[in-house]
Amino acid sequence: MNDDRRKHVVWIQKGEKLEEHTTASAQETMAIAKQFAKTLHGGEVLALSGDLGAGKTTFVKGLALGLGITSPITSPTFVLMKVYVACISLCHIDCYRLSSQEDLLAIGADEYMGKQGVVTALEWSRRVKGLLPKDAIEISLEIL
Amino acid sequence: MTILGIESSCDETAVALVSYASGRFSVLRDLVASQAKIHAKYGGVVPEVAARNHSMALIPLIKKALGKKRPDVLAVTSGPGLITSLLVGVQTAKTLSYLWKKPMIGVNHIEGHLYANFVSEQAIRFPAVVLIVSGGHTELLLMKGHGRYELLGSTRDDAAGEAFDKGAKILGLGYPGGPALSRLAQQGDASRYPFPRPMLDVPGFEFSYSGLKTSLLYRVLEMKKKRIQFTNRVIADLCAGYQDAIVDILVSKTARALRAHSVHSLICGGGVMANSELRKRLSGLLADSFPGVSLYYPSPRLCTDNAVMIAAAGAFHAIKKMPRMDAWKKIDVSAQWELAAKKQSV
Repeated sequence: MNDDRRKHVVWIQKGEKLEEHTTASAQETMAIAKQFAKTLHGGEVLALSGDLGAGKTTFVKGLALGLGITSPITSPTFVLMKVYVACISLCHIDCYRLSSQEDLLAIGADEYMGKQGVVTALEWSRRVKGLLPKDAIEISLEIL
Repeated sequence: MTILGIESSCDETAVALVSYASGRFSVLRDLVASQAKIHAKYGGVVPEVAARNHSMALIPLIKKALGKKRPDVLAVTSGPGLITSLLVGVQTAKTLSYLWKKPMIGVNHIEGHLYANFVSEQAIRFPAVVLIVSGGHTELLLMKGHGRYELLGSTRDDAAGEAFDKGAKILGLGYPGGPALSRLAQQGDASRYPFPRPMLDVPGFEFSYSGLKTSLLYRVLEMKKKRIQFTNRVIADLCAGYQDAIVDILVSKTARALRAHSVHSLICGGGVMANSELRKRLSGLLADSFPGVSLYYPSPRLCTDNAVMIAAAGAFHAIKKMPRMDAWKKIDVSAQWELAAKKQSV
């Protein structure tokens, strides 16, 4: 986990509504995500963007906590997709190693994305923009 | 007994035919549908590969491995890994098990990495501490006997191999650039750019590598701000410092496990075990502090994902208890299968 004390900015864009949070640590970023998770009902697709080290995985960890998922959230970079089953399940996808939108379908992501009872969080989502639903919630993270 | 091993848990599609007789393994076939060429073309891993290419590559590989022969047992990786990739291997094995009326075993991928050691060396003494380090896993286990494990600790975020690859990306060495980073590190001075050792002050055996990657990023950003030239020398020193931190954490936590548990052996496996610095430091640790403990790690070929290790793990399961002919009915993929959660996975 990032134990850095750098300031991060988290933007959450849901339709027309844009929220901006400035956080002073990874812990605070997690807390924002945890709070945000409480507003989700399942079926949402979260498109995360931000550079390496910007706090995307930290955000997803907070999200999982908020959804009541107790198992550790580890990086999905290697296996591309991890699914955590709970009342509202979490599908954690990392598009870092994907080269095209079709790759996302090839790994079977459409079995989970946008489905009832599943919150899907995609890291490096810009690589698969065309496959994201119109109502995808955009979450951008940046180091200040 | 001949065992057909099938591995498709992530990027590699691999098939092996291994025979086990009077306590010795012979590797008859060891095939990997190499995606190296595809990867080189795109300058990175193209895991489209992941599910679609597994299904295209697997049957021809099995045909090539077997010819007209039939194995006595099938062993397939059924977890952990990417669920859709695992499905290709498991469904293929199930179908063949049913058609050929040969029993089938679902093998844990981590267990496979550990059993890669038993291919050439069967006399490993238990109990043992097991260290598995790869692009997808970093864990320490206590192994009390064949098939008997206790999880000591694993990574909370990124795997050590991932830290190598992402560090390489930050340093502009491409992706996945772990091996390139290690090569450069050999020429660098690790003391010039020291990096933090996350989790060393936390008791227990858990790892964390995400923060280390972030501190490399910050270091690079700061150096760019100060307009420091990224000469070959500077990059080599950064690589050396960064690698030193990764290796130091692995070695320190392993030492802690060896202090906490009195064992005869340290068994290592996974792609990162191909790293010569890590091998050297683990050998040094045992020589200096644990002279009674024997160190085992596979050849570099068997460190990376392969099917020989799956066949070897399968063989030990079959020796202990040959599965029923219809075992295939009960085998399913388990994308997040924790080896230690299944204490008597045999």
